[in-house]
Amino acid sequence: MTPIQMTFSTMFLLGLMGLTFHRTHLLSALLCLESMMLSLFLATSLWALQLSTINIATVPMLLLAFSACEASSGLALLVATARTHGSDHMQNLNLLQC
Amino acid sequence: MSYLVCVLLFGLMVGSVGVASNPSPYFAAMGLVMVSGVGCGVLICFGGSFLPLVFFLIYLGGMMVVFAFSAALSAEPYPYGWGNRSVKMYVAAYVLGVGCAWKVLLGKWSGFWGGILDESGELLVLRGDMMGVAAMHDVGGWMLVLGGLGLLLTLFVVLELVRGVSRGGLRTV
Repeated sequence: MTPIQMTFSTMFLLGLMGLTFHRTHLLSALLCLESMMLSLFLATSLWALQLSTINIATVPMLLLAFSACEASSGLALLVATARTHGSDHMQNLNLLQC
Repeated sequence: MSYLVCVLLFGLMVGSVGVASNPSPYFAAMGLVMVSGVGCGVLICFGGSFLPLVFFLIYLGGMMVVFAFSAALSAEPYPYGWGNRSVKMYVAAYVLGVGCAWKVLLGKWSGFWGGILDESGELLVLRGDMMGVAAMHDVGGWMLVLGGLGLLLTLFVVLELVRGVSRGGLRTV
């Protein structure tokens, strides 16, 4: 594994572990998702650039479009949570009564 | 150039640990800005021209403005950065884990440094990634239409989620 592949694999795993283990705010979870998408964008662009396969350069663009969909849906959920629960703490989402 | 790429890869690691170690969202957003800037530098070092531009503009111009707007919704009076005790503990654990992974995996599987090459065999007018994005508009038109439809669907999803009357996802309490 070359260092660049090692780097984006480690970035993806770091984002996944940060999303999984300990989150206080919903916005922090969304930021971890963003860092995972960022590492995927880096991976696909470096695939296109290192192997000189120019048709693969379409993949990061489409990935970016769909990650914009994901980010906007997550932010809409954040706004809805802040309006119903008063804050976006993850432990507030466990309460049965808001 | 290889030393520069090494420094930039180290910056990517540091920024990822800074995002993943659960600080307040302000500082995590700063870490994400750092990762996007350094990743743009990595892509430039590997010979890209259009993809790093899109990367930098989207992440810095689009997402960070949206996240800064939304950080106002999750504001807290005493935000905690990387100097906090629990955050420091997470940073230490992640740095240790990343160091062990690099020590174990990199020596075993890495036979060569992935060289910096953007020399395709043919004669190209532009750089390779620009040709690829142009090919997306040429032969990948239906995929573009599908992406546009996905964005349109997301618009209605967001409008339904934050509408706030009794029919949407947000109920009156």
